[in-house]
Amino acid sequence: MREALGADPRGLLARLRAGDPRAFEELVMTYQHRVFGVALRMLGSRAEAEEIAQEVFLRAHRSLGDFRGEARLGTWLYGIASRLCLNRLASPDRRVARGDAALLDVPAATPDAAAEVERAELDTALRAAIAELPDERRLVLVLRDIEGLSYEQIAVALTLDPGTVRSRLHRARMQLKEKLERFA
Amino acid sequence: MTCGDARDMFSLLADDALTPLERAALDAHLAECAECRRELAGFERAVKLIRAIDPVRAPAGFVERVLAAAQAAPLPQQPAPLPEQPAPLPEQPAPLPPQPPPLPRRPARRMAWRRPAVPLSAAALLVVGGLAVLLFRGSPEQQRAAQRQLESPPAVTAPAPRSDAPPTPAPPPREPQKPPAPAGERAKTAPTPPTVARKRAETRAEPKLSDEQRNVTPPQAAERFGAKSESSERETDKRDVAQDAIQPAPAAPARERQAATAKTQPTPQTSALSRTGAMTGIPAATPDVRAQLRVADVSAAERSLIQLATRVGGRQTGRRIDAGRIVVELALPRDAYAQFVREATALGAMSIESQTAERPMLAVAVTVSN
Repeated sequence: MREALGADPRGLLARLRAGDPRAFEELVMTYQHRVFGVALRMLGSRAEAEEIAQEVFLRAHRSLGDFRGEARLGTWLYGIASRLCLNRLASPDRRVARGDAALLDVPAATPDAAAEVERAELDTALRAAIAELPDERRLVLVLRDIEGLSYEQIAVALTLDPGTVRSRLHRARMQLKEKLERFA
Repeated sequence: MTCGDARDMFSLLADDALTPLERAALDAHLAECAECRRELAGFERAVKLIRAIDPVRAPAGFVERVLAAAQAAPLPQQPAPLPEQPAPLPEQPAPLPPQPPPLPRRPARRMAWRRPAVPLSAAALLVVGGLAVLLFRGSPEQQRAAQRQLESPPAVTAPAPRSDAPPTPAPPPREPQKPPAPAGERAKTAPTPPTVARKRAETRAEPKLSDEQRNVTPPQAAERFGAKSESSERETDKRDVAQDAIQPAPAAPARERQAATAKTQPTPQTSALSRTGAMTGIPAATPDVRAQLRVADVSAAERSLIQLATRVGGRQTGRRIDAGRIVVELALPRDAYAQFVREATALGAMSIESQTAERPMLAVAVTVSN
């Protein structure tokens, strides 16, 4: 799991609003891995994830004037990324191709040299189980258990009631538990 | 506490978010229920596995590619007033509000957002090489939306408000019976990016979606939303497409915009291969995109370009000779631009000199030579 989403770099929002030419670059550098990460976990394709991640920052670039600063910049970017991913996943053109590719392009966790075969099977089963989750549940799971956001940050990013976040996360985890039971 | 109650608390337990009382109640149940203990062990194991997945990193060069694309994108208006609504997610453009009068170009600001080390041509090539697909991605729906624009009659233009006046509330987002004005007409009547006004309108539009989500309560309602959201997101996509089609042009001097407008006026009677009509031989104002196409057979390439423009939903708007070289002027739907570039590249060696606009119809001048 990624480290918790902390505070934005000091003064970054103010410098962005002031038109500091280096501030946008700093924004991208600071959050590129997080934004790309959620896009990749949701879409399963590195090329598509990069496309979406770029679009996230371009939209942020265009919309900085509307950002009030009540949420962290990181949370705001996660929200944009999440919506773009869900939109992409729901597009009819993509729906034809999905179901088998999701998350398969994602590199596995560092292999454990001691238990290669079983570990590889487990990794495959884990990624397949995550890929089979409904999009909204998978998104919450990715944001919480892989990207390390808190319940509150997820609720803000997705403009969801915290109870809905809890419910989706719990159902996603329970579903994964069922899928992985044979490896117990 | 029932087994169901206990298992509903597993996630909060894994996140260390139970109150002391809840934790005590759960522990008491687990002490007596072996089945729930097994369930909890499997649950915690699954959570541990998920959390062991390594975080991924963005690919090398990602930052540079984003910055190059941002340079070609419209610039933010600074400073922006604080909207009254909560911070919106900006991926839900609102319908176009009435357009304020033109604002002067802001060269100082534009320069501030450029990286001096990267020439414009290089940035444009980068964009065409990879990011143009992103910026001008043309799904069939988007192309159809652009095509509808070309075919729809001119809309009556509302009088432009003062630039400092608050924007008129945007019309409802879903009005398929009211097609947007043709690109040329819109370019003429909407010369300036009402960025601030549009963003305010977006701010108004966004909470609607948020409310849809907030109205859902877990757990059953969450499931309903999960099922419903697919169709609603698809509708969102369609609204995105429709709005993309009426995206305003970026700021430009009035005379420049006016000339570009003349160039992109629809010429329904002009066939795709016609070289008359709008072909005055006089270069129009600065096009959105200038391209150089080097080919062996100039005439054949010219015909192919015009046919290609027609095929992707655009048209020829002019033809002139510049320094002995043929310049083909085209109006292309923004959403079809990436397809045009891809296919035009197959005709010969193509380079892009500039690329700026985000308007629905792009003025493209292609110099064809060998």
